[in-house]
Amino acid sequence: MRFLHAIWADIRFQMKQGFYLVYVLITIMYLIILSFLPEDVLSVALPLVVFSDPSVLGLFFIGGIIMLEKVQGVLSVLVVSPLRTIEYLLSKVVSLALVSVLAAFAITGFSQYESVNWLILFLSTVLTSGIFTLCGIMINAGCQTVNQYMIKTIPYMLLFVLPCVTLIGFPYSWVFTIVPSVAALRLMLGAYTGINFYEAIALIVYLTGVNYLFLRWTIRVFENEIIYQE
Amino acid sequence: MVQVINLNFTYKKTRKKAIHEMDFNIHEGEVFGFLGPNGAGKTTTQRLIIGLLRNYTGQIEVMGKERKKWGKEFYEQIGVAFDFPNLYLKLTAKENLQLISAYYKDRIENPDKLLDRVGLLPDKDVRAESFSKGMKMRLNFIRSIMHQPRLMFFDEPTAGLDPVNAHIIKDIILEQKSAGKTVFLTTHNMTVAEQLCDRVAFIVDGQIVVTGSPKDLMIEHGKRRIKVEYKQNGNLFEKEFEMDHLAENKQFTDILKNTDIRTIHSCEATLEDIFIKLTGRNLL
Repeated sequence: MRFLHAIWADIRFQMKQGFYLVYVLITIMYLIILSFLPEDVLSVALPLVVFSDPSVLGLFFIGGIIMLEKVQGVLSVLVVSPLRTIEYLLSKVVSLALVSVLAAFAITGFSQYESVNWLILFLSTVLTSGIFTLCGIMINAGCQTVNQYMIKTIPYMLLFVLPCVTLIGFPYSWVFTIVPSVAALRLMLGAYTGINFYEAIALIVYLTGVNYLFLRWTIRVFENEIIYQE
Repeated sequence: MVQVINLNFTYKKTRKKAIHEMDFNIHEGEVFGFLGPNGAGKTTTQRLIIGLLRNYTGQIEVMGKERKKWGKEFYEQIGVAFDFPNLYLKLTAKENLQLISAYYKDRIENPDKLLDRVGLLPDKDVRAESFSKGMKMRLNFIRSIMHQPRLMFFDEPTAGLDPVNAHIIKDIILEQKSAGKTVFLTTHNMTVAEQLCDRVAFIVDGQIVVTGSPKDLMIEHGKRRIKVEYKQNGNLFEKEFEMDHLAENKQFTDILKNTDIRTIHSCEATLEDIFIKLTGRNLL
């Protein structure tokens, strides 16, 4: 129950702070741009746009959310409440994944792209969102200002986004699948262009494992940097 | 309720030894004041008991159990009001209470009643961002007691409040005490401490200098004298007398009989005087 309340609290917080409005505007902007693209370009552009939403945008959004909670001081209230660290973190992951899924489905649905595997799209969006949200929380833990967060985010962003380029015709691109963002994008591309069943299962298992490891790691970082300021 | 034995704590990052061999206890149902200047170790001690700092040596036993052994269920039983407002600014006063209340087993039954108690009922549907600092502090305060905690931690609870609202907050603290709740109060406001605390501890450089009831300390460190202010032939005079054998002091009884008495005060020390005397420091 407490966990469900935490998710609801996060949704309300994000809504009241105007994050959803930004999401709607960005989604509309994406749809307008995509509507001008020819079919063959769309098959590459659409997955990339949908992928950028839970990853790049997600990273900035979680940074903004945590920073706002820090500035308003509510984090200090939450740490002396019965809410567990894992509940706090997972509620952020779930609430942001929910928005990402809605945005991914809206963009894909309105683009009238044929032959979409909606289940794979759902799973890849959720798993991508989880990785980037947790990563954003970890980066944010040691930051005091938005500028600090932005600067600290850039190397992580490069580390995650650059290897994704290898998916476009790079001969040994499978090697880079070890990078979680590459695995996530590979799975998301599969939702649009088709994917081997076993490859999809392997990617889902791998990404779930990465999410779990990131969660354990984020709990440690969050407790050391934010709760216990020793 | 709280027993602290030989407590030591050093901050890892700065290597600053913040608490030195501290011993004190807080009885159930009392208001215990922790008094000291900024940087003395008041907040560090409070954070150690609350569980926001680890790696201490010594013992901190809270509600019958070593602090390290408590899990998150500990927070069901304590309430904390920090000395700065920490609210969801885009949410209304009532929404702020309801949102945090949802994390507790003992949910708030009637937020309006609590809001009314601190004069915020007319503003219950107003967003916290448009509140004054005093309004935010009042909302902060009631949020810390809404889940009926057994042990409460208040850090400068009347800071930034006008006298009327400060009075309301002090009344609520005394009501909580009457209901058997225990209060740990950190402040450098000696008047608040005198009015509210059953016992106080003076803390300087991470060490407790003295512990006792404000009244006992004031008598012990004061002079056993009284000061009389009186008017005679249109002029104002002031005179001090030893308390012992006062009734047999002819000069005193003559003043009582023949002059217009303006004030009579006993010369006990104020908590501030005692603090300066014992520590050689000012409180601010």
